[in-house]
Amino acid sequence: MTTAAPEASLNALPRADGSAKYSYAGYTVTASVNGPIEAQRRDEHAYEAHVDVIIRPSAGVGGTRERHLESILQSSLSQIILVKNFPRSVIQIVLQIESTPENAYVDTKLVQASLNLPIIPALFQTAVLALLSATVPMKATATSTVVAVVSEDGSKKIVADPSPKDIGEATSLHVLAFTSHDELLLSESEGDFTVKEWDDVYERAHQICCQTASKQAGIDMMLDDDSSGPNMRHFLRSALETKVASDLYWK
Amino acid sequence: MSTESPLVVLPGEAIDPSLIPTHKKKPLRLGPGLRHIPPSEIVPTVAGQLVVDHRKTSMWIEYNGGRYIPSQGDLIIGQIARSATDFYYVSLSPYTPNATLPHLAFESATKKTRPQLASGDLVYARVSLANRHMDPELECVNSSTGKSDGLGPLKDGMVFDVSLGFARRLLMAKSREEGKVEVLEALGEEGLAFETAVGRNGKVWVGSESVKAVVVVGRALRETDERGLGVEAQRKLVKKLVREMR
Repeated sequence: MTTAAPEASLNALPRADGSAKYSYAGYTVTASVNGPIEAQRRDEHAYEAHVDVIIRPSAGVGGTRERHLESILQSSLSQIILVKNFPRSVIQIVLQIESTPENAYVDTKLVQASLNLPIIPALFQTAVLALLSATVPMKATATSTVVAVVSEDGSKKIVADPSPKDIGEATSLHVLAFTSHDELLLSESEGDFTVKEWDDVYERAHQICCQTASKQAGIDMMLDDDSSGPNMRHFLRSALETKVASDLYWK
Repeated sequence: MSTESPLVVLPGEAIDPSLIPTHKKKPLRLGPGLRHIPPSEIVPTVAGQLVVDHRKTSMWIEYNGGRYIPSQGDLIIGQIARSATDFYYVSLSPYTPNATLPHLAFESATKKTRPQLASGDLVYARVSLANRHMDPELECVNSSTGKSDGLGPLKDGMVFDVSLGFARRLLMAKSREEGKVEVLEALGEEGLAFETAVGRNGKVWVGSESVKAVVVVGRALRETDERGLGVEAQRKLVKKLVREMR
């Protein structure tokens, strides 16, 4: 369980149309967004924009795992971008992973073949922030979280934002993302779990991602209820409010 | 504008119906950043500040950043990419499809007297057609009067890149009162002789007899934009730059 709040800075890269740097729970990701730009022939679609997601790992070159993560993000991000507004074009999202939390208990090299689920929320959140900073027209915003089911003394416990140690001991791991209309956008799971457990996981993730971002309630929840994880929607809103205020300083 | 605190909206958020201006006869006009989902839903598509003008029954989202998306009537500065039999292909921003500018869309242009532009030349033009399914079309002439209205090829001078929001402020009819930009006026008061053309695609052309003046005007504009200077700071910056130049 991490106590630090998520952090973000927008428009850090001067030459990209939009960019964001996001760090939370040991993950730091920088994203740049360019678009809508001219599509290459093979990416061109007559009626909608192609969303091109590129993930670069913190060390080495991307492989099959990165391609898989790209396909997961690509399908969920093209749901919230208004792709029909920009036929025959590309919206390019480049995600550079800068750091990942280290697990002092497990040698990470041994588990390289498996899918890296816990990094998806960080990648997803950075991509959404960068898209907003590039003012790409979107249907809605979205928030994402990772939840683990850990068995403890014979009973199952649901842990939001699990630490690498929790992930190592978890019986199942779930990544969920919700749009700002409270619709489930992305659901990826790993491990053994029952339908009941998934329902509990859904409830918990929904609570983290979809708490209303009203100003008063947001602050109160951040103060007294930090066991339920951060209020992602409130975080997204406050990051954007800062950006809009600095953009429109002359108003 | 009204004195109440600015209303920041995110894509997909519901807009309070009481904010939407209504009028008995005039239709509601939606500006950039808003989309109408029939029958009666109005949703923002970008993050920014919601601005409502009750007098003109219009509303739009004020924001800065991103890539220029052509829309009809915008004044832009483009660079000629190449010439075809009837058109020039004009680049508005990098990595986007070129806009077309007909050879005869200049003031009093005929097949024999049209301006001969080479690739790399600059034009100040108006977007005459912008449509998601077609490449944008440009014109350097008012099609109803046949006059150029100041549009046409830009000779000499230099182009500076600024943010889209800053270009919009420079293009405001009352850029001093509403846009809070006074650099150009301040530079003029310092005795510099120069002319400018502002493109909605985030480009400012500066022309002058003296190269020094071009560089000073360009730097003043860039710094005002990048550092987000207020009116007082703009005047101070101009004083400093002019002193360094002399």
